[in-house]
Amino acid sequence: MSPTAGLGLKPQHYDDAFAADAEGLWFEVHPENYMAAGGPRLRRLEAIRARRPLSLHGVGLSLAADADPDPAHLLALKTLADRFEPFVMSEHLAWSAWRGVHQPDLLPFPRTRAALDRIAANIGRTQDALGRTILVENPSLYLPLTGHELDETDFLTELTRRAGCGLLVDVNNVFVSAANLGYAAEAYLNGLPAGAIGEIHLAGHGADEGGSSLLIDTHAAPIAEPVWALYRRLIDRIGPRPTLIERDDDVPAFEVLMAERDRAHSLLMGTGACACPQPLPVAS
Amino acid sequence: MTDLARFQDAFVTALAERTAEPIAGWLPEGETQPAGLSVYRNTIAKGCVDALAANFPTVASLVGDDWFAAAAALFAREHPPSSAALLAYGEAFPDWLARFPPADELPYLPAMAWLDWRWTNALFAPEAQPLDAGAFALTPEALAAARPRLHPSLTFAWFDSGLPDLWLAARAPEPGEMTLSPKPQGVLIVRPDDAVQARVLDRAGHAFLAAASDGASLGEAITAAGEADPSADLASLFAALIADGVFVGLDLGDPT
Repeated sequence: MSPTAGLGLKPQHYDDAFAADAEGLWFEVHPENYMAAGGPRLRRLEAIRARRPLSLHGVGLSLAADADPDPAHLLALKTLADRFEPFVMSEHLAWSAWRGVHQPDLLPFPRTRAALDRIAANIGRTQDALGRTILVENPSLYLPLTGHELDETDFLTELTRRAGCGLLVDVNNVFVSAANLGYAAEAYLNGLPAGAIGEIHLAGHGADEGGSSLLIDTHAAPIAEPVWALYRRLIDRIGPRPTLIERDDDVPAFEVLMAERDRAHSLLMGTGACACPQPLPVAS
Repeated sequence: MTDLARFQDAFVTALAERTAEPIAGWLPEGETQPAGLSVYRNTIAKGCVDALAANFPTVASLVGDDWFAAAAALFAREHPPSSAALLAYGEAFPDWLARFPPADELPYLPAMAWLDWRWTNALFAPEAQPLDAGAFALTPEALAAARPRLHPSLTFAWFDSGLPDLWLAARAPEPGEMTLSPKPQGVLIVRPDDAVQARVLDRAGHAFLAAASDGASLGEAITAAGEADPSADLASLFAALIADGVFVGLDLGDPT
């Protein structure tokens, strides 16, 4: 069957992932963790990919930097895409590389019309290099930046129109950003175009250990109930989409994550067949 | 310069200088110390520290999580990653540790870091199929003239003390008492198949690999090994290297 609910693949779970037989199960990895010449990590991913659909979810392309995407990074992505034939590829509405330094985070920016032009062009270059469309994910936000000319939903919608990309909706990021910046998560989700959404992410968040009132997108906890509630209403509105459970810190046993994944799977099955993103031709 | 580029320059400066002043023009009036800037800074530091801990596991286990995190965060400020592929991050860390005053009490630490770095490099090195013993079933003349091609994951080095033994002991699942022997020894690190293998190398074994990696024939390499240690068992030495999987090809020369 087509992919329903999946898990972010952690190295400590390779054996479990290889053996898992759940219906609709798929896996997602950060391609940056596999940008190696060889070695067991690539071999294990290959073995799992032989049994399961795979998504490549990038964290290092830096689409929102005022710079062209790094050709070496694009080539490494393309090499992985050719080898693993992912059913979907995605990146973030954020920047991380700037003037030769890579900051391992997803950084914010003022959503101006000029930024929209630059990012749409960067997505276009990426899709040209990969020969396929990508999904772009909404970030978790922690700073009340001024100078925005577009709401994030309008910005993302405009990117899908201009670059022909799709959207990856991280419901936890919406919840966290809405809490941190003081807007309504539900209204945000309702503002996204259903037809462009190709994947959904769910993850846990936590309080700021630094003592502020900010919520942090930690990927270190179970998915919170309010996030599940937002998710249910989102798929009621847009229909089922491949949905990923992300856990990157304090990673529990595979079965614990599978229980969350099975909950998402059940919700998806209750809304009909999963509408998986088709590999669309690159928009000209 | 575009507004976006100006913002990115300012944001990077704000991260480095630990003040929101550079991005004040993009913050609401009166928002002089936004907590969010620390969230980004902490996430970046954690990303670097976690990557270094993964790439330098022996160093991390020897010094403990807190010491390692503090040192790695300082290193990352001086040597931030230049690529998103963090599995290749930290080449400068061993030398940096050698100049890091708090590490003065742990003089073996830079060598532990260097060995970790070579191990991590071997883990992600290109694939190559080692030759089995049958590939060496040649006439003595042909064997002596053959030039071996070494595995792309192979690293070997010589130390003027027992640092390799110390490193291997520290990597054991439950390290026991660890002492640094003054006796010089070498190390061999290679990933013949799925797993990285590391072992101590004696003087003859090191001399053999040093010659072979310089393009020597097997005969020349064996001669070098015998000169390095006249008491060495050269047949066992050669068989052990074949079993290690260090040879991936033989260029057959013209036996003369």
